[in-house]
Amino acid sequence: MWIPIQINENSAEPLYHQIETQLRSLIISGAITEGTLLPSIREFAGDLKCSVITVRRVYQDLENEGLLRTRQGTGTFVSHIGTGAMEDYKQETVRKALESAVEAGLSVHCSEEELTRLFTEIVKNKYGKQAERGGS
Amino acid sequence: MGQQAIELRDVWKKRRNKTIGPMNLRLPQGYITALVGQNGAGKSTLLNMLLQLILPDEGEIRWYEETYRGVLPMELRQSIAYVPEMPQPEENFWTPGEAAAFRSHWYPSWDQSYFEELVRKFEVPENARLGKMSKGERRKFELAAALAVKPRLLLLDEPSSGLDPFAWKIMIETLQRYMDEHEATIVISTHIVEEVRRLADYIVLMHQGQLLGMTEKDSLFGSWSEIWVQIEGEQALQELAAELPQALELKLETPGVASFLTQQIYLYEKRIHDLGVKVLKSRSLELDEILSLWTRGHRPVLIDQKRGE
Repeated sequence: MWIPIQINENSAEPLYHQIETQLRSLIISGAITEGTLLPSIREFAGDLKCSVITVRRVYQDLENEGLLRTRQGTGTFVSHIGTGAMEDYKQETVRKALESAVEAGLSVHCSEEELTRLFTEIVKNKYGKQAERGGS
Repeated sequence: MGQQAIELRDVWKKRRNKTIGPMNLRLPQGYITALVGQNGAGKSTLLNMLLQLILPDEGEIRWYEETYRGVLPMELRQSIAYVPEMPQPEENFWTPGEAAAFRSHWYPSWDQSYFEELVRKFEVPENARLGKMSKGERRKFELAAALAVKPRLLLLDEPSSGLDPFAWKIMIETLQRYMDEHEATIVISTHIVEEVRRLADYIVLMHQGQLLGMTEKDSLFGSWSEIWVQIEGEQALQELAAELPQALELKLETPGVASFLTQQIYLYEKRIHDLGVKVLKSRSLELDEILSLWTRGHRPVLIDQKRGE
């Protein structure tokens, strides 16, 4: 099967890390469902134009995290992800994004009040739009 | 790295007008290694030595961590397949089927149904004599016949020369699948960067008879960057050059804009920023550019894959 992973060649992030992060979020977000057979290491490496060494490392790391399991002779499958893990992942993703937003604010000497006001404004704006779309 | 398929220890080949060596190399089993380098770098000589078609003048070659006095044992020789740069004229008057019958006699592991499957997939003309085929058609036969041996070690000397893009794609997929299903090792000499991208796990770079080195392909990823910066003029450019001694090809592109090449840009980003120099754009160099810099003596600083954690 084809896995939508996009490699950013201009990123300072190492290749294996880019692949691992994206594959992890595809699994935890449920975009790739439990029981899905992933491509073989060689096939995936060919698709991503990286080496089998990199893909093997990604599969091993995610297997250690309990997200994947390998059955001898059959291949590597997506494991069962508990709802707890999904919830943790959701929170973690949002937390990271907010942290970097706050850091951006700090770097331009934005005051706490100003930042909170902007945050509330953006939340109202975005969630309001979503409610409108949902209602129509 | 597990077991070695091939090991070269201080191997030399000395000829009247060209010397190749010293070559020290360890090719791990189960991987695809791309042999890259300009024409005449010594790639074909190296492949020929792995088959004892050329014998080294000095040094030692090991196959699967064993060394052999004299000729390779038949069993080992039968587990190695080779697609040479130029096809052997001895088979020119045979059709693919006749040549297959001859080869199967010498290779007990010959898989006739796999051979037929590949010949069909590659659309090799089945009734034509090998000598009458186009370069690409002959190449496809050679690839099919090499794989039909079910080799443990497959040596490919510029296998895609003459192949059309469709056949090229089938070749890539066939080699990937073969590696998936067999615990094999491939050494492929190539000039095609896309082939290295799609197939290789390791890269060995040769230049003028020297082995410049071997690296895991992915450790080259992002190793060099080209940076464009805003710069006042010639004097500011000189100052920047003094601050960044590792920068290559530092030059004024247009008034106000300079560019240069550097390795490990993440180490220098802060310094460039602290100098008050504005970065306008940056890009990572492509694999072929990295290899060409390496050929010119700018060996890449191999990236610690742990970076970023």
